[in-house]
Amino acid sequence: MFGYIKPFKPYMRVFEYDIYKSVYCGLCKDMSRRQGFVTRFTLSYDFAFLAIMDLALRQKKINAKKQRCIAHPLKKSLCLCGKNSCRYSSDTAVILTYHKLKDDLADKGIKGKAAAAVLLPFFKEPYKKARKKNLTLAKTTERLMELQRKTEREKNASIDLACEPTAQMMSAAFGGLSGDKQTKAKLKRFGYLLGRFVYLCDALDDLEEDIRKGNYNPLKEISGDKKLNGEMLKKVYAFTDMTVNLTLGAMAEVYISLDIKMYREILDNVVYLGLKNVYNNIKEKKEKGEYKYE
Amino acid sequence: MSNDPYKILGVSPNASDDEVKAAYKELVKKYHPDKFQDDGMAEIAQEKMSAINSAYDAVMEARRGGSVNFGGDHGGYQNNVFDSRQIRSLIQSGNITQAESLLNNVPMDSRNAEWHFLMGSVCYKRGWLNDAYNQFSAAAQMDPSNMEYVSALNQMNRQRSGYMAGGPAGGMPQSNTSFCSCCSDLICADCCCELMGGDLIPCC
Repeated sequence: MFGYIKPFKPYMRVFEYDIYKSVYCGLCKDMSRRQGFVTRFTLSYDFAFLAIMDLALRQKKINAKKQRCIAHPLKKSLCLCGKNSCRYSSDTAVILTYHKLKDDLADKGIKGKAAAAVLLPFFKEPYKKARKKNLTLAKTTERLMELQRKTEREKNASIDLACEPTAQMMSAAFGGLSGDKQTKAKLKRFGYLLGRFVYLCDALDDLEEDIRKGNYNPLKEISGDKKLNGEMLKKVYAFTDMTVNLTLGAMAEVYISLDIKMYREILDNVVYLGLKNVYNNIKEKKEKGEYKYE
Repeated sequence: MSNDPYKILGVSPNASDDEVKAAYKELVKKYHPDKFQDDGMAEIAQEKMSAINSAYDAVMEARRGGSVNFGGDHGGYQNNVFDSRQIRSLIQSGNITQAESLLNNVPMDSRNAEWHFLMGSVCYKRGWLNDAYNQFSAAAQMDPSNMEYVSALNQMNRQRSGYMAGGPAGGMPQSNTSFCSCCSDLICADCCCELMGGDLIPCC
């Protein structure tokens, strides 16, 4: 479910890319420091986006220094400093990843299960701590994971309902970025639609595998037919195209109304180019069997 | 959820004023939004609370001598047809659950174009965009002359084809437009013009 929120790098200016990377780097270090060494390896770009949105909303200038890091031990790279700059995103990453791992343990293939079983113990303590500090988010996520399992059990054919748990989760995550009532409402809608996009990407990405293994996938269920091939698959793709476009279109509307000033170009890049690029890559990967621009 | 105020309060229409008051107080205690820490739950509680409040007001108003104008069941409003003004203001104020329950109570055969439009708005506010699209299409199909329905549908159609408000004009680099195709488009246009008797590029 992670890794679908990314910038479109070819259209990023160098300094923008530096900022993006330094935030990612700072977030990774913050996780290692506060949440435990192992948690940092689960970090995905999604939370870097959350962190930049957070910085932009608080209008915080970035203070980055060149530091060494475990992923690139030989080269010093720019890294966001300051203890409080990405606390919330780091906590959110732990909360959401913990639940994802728990979910993987329950119903992924053997590889996913093994990975989840190895990682999960390292998340127990950090999750408790993060839960205490972000009780609302943690409780909402717990309730939504339950809803997710229910949706999967009932094999719900409505795409709107299938997206609901993930969308609500992201809605809660982004809603936590602001205390102001109006901004919070907008952020929640933004998060909701972004979560919807993420879920749709995930569903399309896993479609063939889910068909093969007989798992639940809302894109498979809409056809009503268990065997999907040729013509039907094309129809499913066309349907996904339209649904994704609708979602991004509505998301852009609320994104504009947020009227974020700082780091606007970076956020614009993700919202207008990055997401579409990720979606196109999934489609292309299906056609050619490989990722582009990676 | 019903739109009968007595059902919302959980008392029979024959209950005394004191019984109604007691039931109301009990519900307020149960659903007060401050009791819920979970954001989503608090929102639901909030909506529930406003439903309870308006039900209580309606009952009390009726007992003071006014008429019950709270929904279809109690003989108040325009024989089974829904009160679109009330629903619109509920949607506007973000009270989606109540708006939806009022809409759901409208019997199948009186669900007109406006019903579909309002239901579409409810879905849109929720973020259920596919349902919203279907409802807007139904509304526009039933009443194609209504600009409100048609423009709602048009807006979604634009989004469906990939429009993102405020996006860069250039769009994605993978698109088909390039210098080559620009020239070939022009030549193509020229040929078309010539066929029609005009000429776009005079030299060829």
